[in-house]
Amino acid sequence: MDDLSDEAFRLVVRAWVVANYPPEIRNPLKRLHWNECKSWYFKLAEKGWLCPGWPVEYGGMGLSPGKQLIMLDEFERHGCARTIDQGVLMVGPLLIAHGTDEQRAFFLPKVLSGEHIWCQGYSEPNAGSDLASLRTLAERDGDDYVINGQKIWTSMAMDANWIYVLARTDRQAKKQEGIGFFLVPMDTPGITVRPLMTLDLNEEFAETFFDNVRVPASALVGQPNRGWSMAKALLGFERIFVGSPKQSAYALARLRDLAERMGISEDGSFLKVFNRHRLDVEDLTDLYGVYVEQVQRGEIPGPDVSMLKVFQTELYQRIGETMLDVAGEHGGMLEPMEGNRALNPAGLFLQSRPSTIYSGTNEIQRNILSKNVLELPG
Amino acid sequence: MTNADDLRMIRESAAGIAPRTSDLKRIRALRFTEPGFDRTVWREMCEMGWLGLLVPEDQGGSGLGVQAFCALTEELGAALIPEPLIAAAMAARLLPSDMLPDVMAGDRIVLPAWQEKPLSLDLADGGTMFAGGRVTGKKVFVPMAAGADAFLVTVPGGLALVERGAAGVHLECQTTQDGGNSGTLTLDNAHAVWIDGDASAALETACMATSAYLLGVMDRVFGITMEYLKTREQFGRKIGSFQALQHRSADLKIQVSLARATVNAAAKTQDESGDSALRKAAVSRAKARASDAASIVTRGCIQLHGGIGYTDAADPGLFLRKMMVLAPAYGSAAVHRARFRDLAPVGDED
Ligand SMILES: Cc1cc2nc3c(=O)[nH]c(=O)nc-3n(C[C@H](O)[C@H](O)[C@H](O)COP(=O)(O)OP(=O)(O)OC[C@H]3O[C@@H](n4cnc5c(N)ncnc54)[C@H](O)[C@@H]3O)c2cc1C
Repeated sequence: MDDLSDEAFRLVVRAWVVANYPPEIRNPLKRLHWNECKSWYFKLAEKGWLCPGWPVEYGGMGLSPGKQLIMLDEFERHGCARTIDQGVLMVGPLLIAHGTDEQRAFFLPKVLSGEHIWCQGYSEPNAGSDLASLRTLAERDGDDYVINGQKIWTSMAMDANWIYVLARTDRQAKKQEGIGFFLVPMDTPGITVRPLMTLDLNEEFAETFFDNVRVPASALVGQPNRGWSMAKALLGFERIFVGSPKQSAYALARLRDLAERMGISEDGSFLKVFNRHRLDVEDLTDLYGVYVEQVQRGEIPGPDVSMLKVFQTELYQRIGETMLDVAGEHGGMLEPMEGNRALNPAGLFLQSRPSTIYSGTNEIQRNILSKNVLELPG
Repeated sequence: MTNADDLRMIRESAAGIAPRTSDLKRIRALRFTEPGFDRTVWREMCEMGWLGLLVPEDQGGSGLGVQAFCALTEELGAALIPEPLIAAAMAARLLPSDMLPDVMAGDRIVLPAWQEKPLSLDLADGGTMFAGGRVTGKKVFVPMAAGADAFLVTVPGGLALVERGAAGVHLECQTTQDGGNSGTLTLDNAHAVWIDGDASAALETACMATSAYLLGVMDRVFGITMEYLKTREQFGRKIGSFQALQHRSADLKIQVSLARATVNAAAKTQDESGDSALRKAAVSRAKARASDAASIVTRGCIQLHGGIGYTDAADPGLFLRKMMVLAPAYGSAAVHRARFRDLAPVGDED
């Protein structure tokens, strides 16, 4: 695929998406659960397109950054759903960079086949922005660890069959230094998931309770007290993903549909606003490309990747707000206009709201930028 | 005439039904039900004289002004009251005296059906016509229409009253983000009673009352959020001690204060000025500010809450959803800014 010209590649992707994307989940109104999005996951997996960024030797496409962007753009234009992608986006890259050969051999094929669906167990009720203060405990007991505690806001925990968990392995150590990184099957006795309803009225995240959850010592990745640095590396990947133009590009395409429906797509005042968003999306895409290239070279993204996350999420929200402006009274309705899923201004607006909260709030990203990138005092 | 004491009394009288400290249980329970509000509470509101606040005393109302009504609707906004007082009051002052008693008692709910397209303040675009005791056309975005017994329909030159159950009256309700509903009323040669009158002034008052309601919405959610910043801890400190949040909070407070000043001044202009263009320009400024500020403040409050702000169980979301319905209602910020520009062209100030 890398031999094709960009234009030819785009047409190949477009034709395949049109022919293969399950029409019943085009422009989904909400984040889809596994039983709703797995058909798309399996299509991608079958075609070998599930992991465009992974190296070919691990089952990825090893695709150049430029072509990854084209692929993403075509998916968004068509209104393709987000799958449950923690394995593809986070666990895969982490193990490729930090895992042992055994871990890679065991886990990567199961991500590629859809056998393992992952969720992220980081946040706790009292450890959100201050993640390092987490209290879930993993105590060594012979050959096992026993995990006790509570996670919260675990996205898609009810769909996942594996969870990666941060838990305290040393209560005496400084808060960042006593944390372990565990890979745990969700059906381990003692794990309970209680779904929580989002503002978008979707049971999309959950509380995940650990009550004497016994796992073998091999569930630990790396050293017992060195989980924090891995977690941070993963957050870097997450921020690249959240900073990708995916959401903004999707929102922009739907804004255009909406403007057409409202009969203002040629209005000067609308075009001014639309054009501004459009250039923002294009510029974001360039900045994103810089980070995709970094990952391609095998580098772990640094703290500056927070720029991408801040700009993307706030752009996504601005487009969501423009949608409400354009929709007028329709933006106050619960259902999409005329039953057309592409015309869902209120849903899109609502879904854009948490993007400045998840994967580290934008306040925290700005703290990181000012401290670790700009090295300002204080 | 309304003096400061009257306004205080009105605010205090609201506390029974719309307490500033309510736990919002009643509001949650009514969401996504039909008709989305409670007729018993509606009757209580009518007994308190709220529906008749703007109706002249000789017709059984209390003949108070826009400032009084806005003082009340601000309290309703702070408590997210779903009962359709603003819409029903718009209709009540247009009904002839002989039709008022059961309406004022709360036994019969008449809601105005004036709008024919989104993002519009036109009362009668010619899309709904009255002739020979019959009305034909289509009206949209009738708030809480599922609970109406009759509709007061604006038509060129006057008003037409149609019964909800009459032949040729077709009502379709859509659920709104706040858990209420919005009606599309299709009239096909439906029997109607002609009523002389012009809804323009009543529409202006509804715009004002909605601005005040939004003021209550933003003020309350801002208060809830400031409390949260003083209790939630991260990094061993109250999150309200982080300068980033202090600055964000200060910015939101500026919006609430701007909205309050603008709404109060515009309400006063309604009660005291006889200049129609001046009055309308003030209304537009108030609604534009209230809609924008409510959006900024409710969004900001979700952000300040972090993850819990994005749950349905936490209260800030209720305020955000109310904003989504009311910011565009009775003219969005953009609609009112455009009208302001037309009413007060640059260079005309002196
Ligand atoms: C839709 C969604 C999905 C999520 N999915 C997952 C998931 O799958 N797995 C998981 O582990 N977590 C998940 N999260 C949790 C997310 O990572 C946390 O919500 C986030 O880190 C914020 O933590 P908090 O909710 O405790 O808010 P808090 O940390 O309490 O923040 C409250 C407010 O304080 C501000 N604040 C806190 N500290 C500072 C500071 N030092 N300086 C300035 N401002 C500060 C925040 O920016 C925010 O505005 C998800 C969250 C959402 C909304």
